[in-house]
Amino acid sequence: MATADPRTSKASEPFDIVATYNDLLRSDPDLTMPIAAIEALVLLLTHSPSSTISETLDLLEKSTAHLKKSIPNPIGLSAGTDLFQRYLITTLQRPGQLGPAGDFNAIRAHLLSNSRLFIRRAKESRDKIAAFGRGFVRDGSTVLTNGGSRVVASLLQQAADEKGGPSAVRFNVIYVLSSPKGDIESPTAEPEGMETVRALRAKGVPVATIPESAVAYSLGKADVVIVGAEGVVENGGIVSRMGTYQIGLLAKAMGKPFYVVAESHKFVRVYPLGQYDLPIEQHVIDFKTQEEVDTAKQQQSNSANSPGTTQGLNSEFHPDAVDFTPPHLISALITDSGVLTPSAVSEELIKIWF
Amino acid sequence: MANTADPTLNPVSAPPAAPESASKKTNAQMEQSQSQPQPQGQKAPKPAKPAKQQQPAKDKNAAAAAAASADGAGSDKLSPAELKKKAKAEKAARRARERADREQTGAGGGGAAASGQGPGTPAGKKGPDAGAAAAASGKGQKGIPRRGSAQTVPQNGAAEAKKKQEDKKVAVFGHLYGQQRRTTVAGAGKEVHPAVLALGLQMRDYVVCGSSARCVATLLAFKRVIEAYTTPMGTSLSRHLTTHLSHQITYLSTCRPLSISQGNAIRALKLAISSIDPSVPEAQAKSTLCEFIDTFISEKITVADQVIAGSAAQKIKDGDVVVTFAGSSIVKQTLLTAFKQGKKFRVSIIDSRPLFEGKNLARTLANAGLEVQYSLINGISHAIKDATKVFLGAHAMTSNGRLYSRVGTALVAMSAKERAGGVEIPVIVCCETVKFTDRVALDSIVVNEIADADELVVTEAPHQLTDLPDPAAAAQPEPKKGGKTAASNPSPAESNTASKKDGSPLTDWRDTPNLQLLNIMYDVTPAEYVDMVVTEMGSLPPSAVPIVHRMSTNL
Repeated sequence: MATADPRTSKASEPFDIVATYNDLLRSDPDLTMPIAAIEALVLLLTHSPSSTISETLDLLEKSTAHLKKSIPNPIGLSAGTDLFQRYLITTLQRPGQLGPAGDFNAIRAHLLSNSRLFIRRAKESRDKIAAFGRGFVRDGSTVLTNGGSRVVASLLQQAADEKGGPSAVRFNVIYVLSSPKGDIESPTAEPEGMETVRALRAKGVPVATIPESAVAYSLGKADVVIVGAEGVVENGGIVSRMGTYQIGLLAKAMGKPFYVVAESHKFVRVYPLGQYDLPIEQHVIDFKTQEEVDTAKQQQSNSANSPGTTQGLNSEFHPDAVDFTPPHLISALITDSGVLTPSAVSEELIKIWF
Repeated sequence: MANTADPTLNPVSAPPAAPESASKKTNAQMEQSQSQPQPQGQKAPKPAKPAKQQQPAKDKNAAAAAAASADGAGSDKLSPAELKKKAKAEKAARRARERADREQTGAGGGGAAASGQGPGTPAGKKGPDAGAAAAASGKGQKGIPRRGSAQTVPQNGAAEAKKKQEDKKVAVFGHLYGQQRRTTVAGAGKEVHPAVLALGLQMRDYVVCGSSARCVATLLAFKRVIEAYTTPMGTSLSRHLTTHLSHQITYLSTCRPLSISQGNAIRALKLAISSIDPSVPEAQAKSTLCEFIDTFISEKITVADQVIAGSAAQKIKDGDVVVTFAGSSIVKQTLLTAFKQGKKFRVSIIDSRPLFEGKNLARTLANAGLEVQYSLINGISHAIKDATKVFLGAHAMTSNGRLYSRVGTALVAMSAKERAGGVEIPVIVCCETVKFTDRVALDSIVVNEIADADELVVTEAPHQLTDLPDPAAAAQPEPKKGGKTAASNPSPAESNTASKKDGSPLTDWRDTPNLQLLNIMYDVTPAEYVDMVVTEMGSLPPSAVPIVHRMSTNL
């Protein structure tokens, strides 16, 4: 086994986990961040012929840390990497042929095949969620939703689908679109979620699109709020795209049910105490005086000829920004392991981790 | 009634305890099973006649209760509901007695009216001593005043004295006044190990105070007990050591009611003892047990504390103002850990009478170099104004996610949550899983601990500049520092001595009518006011407490 060592270092060097992760995300629009992370890690394991358990775990840990550091918002991603690491450790600790006493090559083959199975199951979970969540969309109701969540889209589409169940649900959708004007890179880009809007309209579902500022105004006409999530944290709250928290607050104030749709592999072991306790840096609130604005503009014009540095320097709004919706605003979480109350999330997480 | 199988401990279950408490307990049971309030005048050292008559009834009821409790814990452990019922019964009994007294002193018409209320009970036919028999018959709830009035005739004086004494118990918490805390080691069983004897008094005097400290001290004392133990002839270690330990536990619980953590640790130890194979040689079994105790302490408390301090310290950010209440050792460790990590934050310690546990914490933190502000709970609204986080220690976490901790904790947590500014301050509880319990607490009345009310009376009078000199100082060290003060006003000092010596206007509260003192030890913080519980198994919302408790006890 020791002979494999020089080959290992050579083979693992060129493998770029960050690039792989980004490629995966770009190539498959249906892929969520945690799954992309797991897939990237599985690819890493296939590329690097590590020969011992500790070597594998060490490699995994290093690449995970590297990946987390190079992605601006690693919350959703860390759900996947943590889960995969946990899965590896429990598999390796299990007694028997696949335990520490067994043949390592067999263990590795088993791990890889199981990981692929895991990824496939995770992709299927969206359909499962749609089946659970269908009952929350009633005939004649109006659903308010936001963002570009693929799970929400698949849930709504399945509810509208004739073939999906006994009969199609007739419902209206109020879609909250965030204005993309803050995005300097592509000011003409269409807002996130437009694709879903088109798909729903094609299925005959009446969709109204409103800006974020009209949420409070429109919420009176909505019966239920359904949102997606980037990560579900330990206390049952969610980390989701910026603007979800205010919808949650408004829904609570107006007494409308607020449902979150998320796959269970999005459960993260993070425990934020509030908006500013998230383990990421985001400069949403950026105080400036006129002087600072002027200097920033000057710098921008100076470096205008060198492309790449302009992005985000003066942006008033970050399209990737997230906020934290605390658990007391959430009525229920619709996941592939059932419809959970926020307090049941920690139970699920503990079950995974211990 | 005696059930050795029951691993839980109860202070009242002490077999050699005073006969009074035993009879009281049986009485309480009788009241539960028949839902018939019993005049309290009958329950304690009494004229022989009613007591004797009650004897068969008592036995019968005891047997019935024992049979009814299938799990075998019936007589030992009163569930909160039962406790409440008991308290209610006692209250009803007291009211009845008072009414009876009034009737007796007043007109006889009242008594007749009361007897008329008895539904279906021919109270009038009963003689004066038939009243006690009614207890066995189990009918006629309203017949009690009548019976009481009939019986008070010979025991008027005694009842009067008793009433005076019992009035000093605050009614709502009546069920919590168990035995008086032990004041000496006299009367302790000969089986009790000297280390345990000492520990008991230390716990009584709050020398060993705090849930974790008491748990560790108890385990260490039990380690010495086990080391000094030899199995008597004809028994096996796994069977006899448990009963031997029970004597120690009983003694400890008479010094101060056992904490949840102590209970959990003892339960684990007893389980370890009973799972020892009888064929294992004694020396080996003893060393196994000592090892078990050491592992338990390090795993559940020492290392757990380090883990908790580490993860709780992560939550402290630069510029934070951390509010804490009283003196929790784990909070202290957390703050010190965060300080060592170079975080810049301020600590505001809120303390309360009579234990002043925060003083030690304040000194330790200040000595370590932290910026500390110390205030009493009266100033809570001021102290909470600039707070950004609240860290709390715990005595226990109940299964409904509520925090059971030193009295005043709930006030701090609620002030943090309901602060006028509208911005919520996160309330973080640091708690080892050994403090988790499967009990449920809805309020702080059913389960609590009452300490000696005299603790509230004693205060060290501050040195007063404007007042007269301290009488003790004025009387004795005349030549030493008396000089001007003693010469200026010796006579007013003399006249004031009586009130000064007492120190506090409450000193003779026992003889003051209409005055009750309540020195409650704990309170319950609702789960909504707790944002996060940091345990050695990770950070949890309070709702996850029962799950983790189940897991940590099953492991």
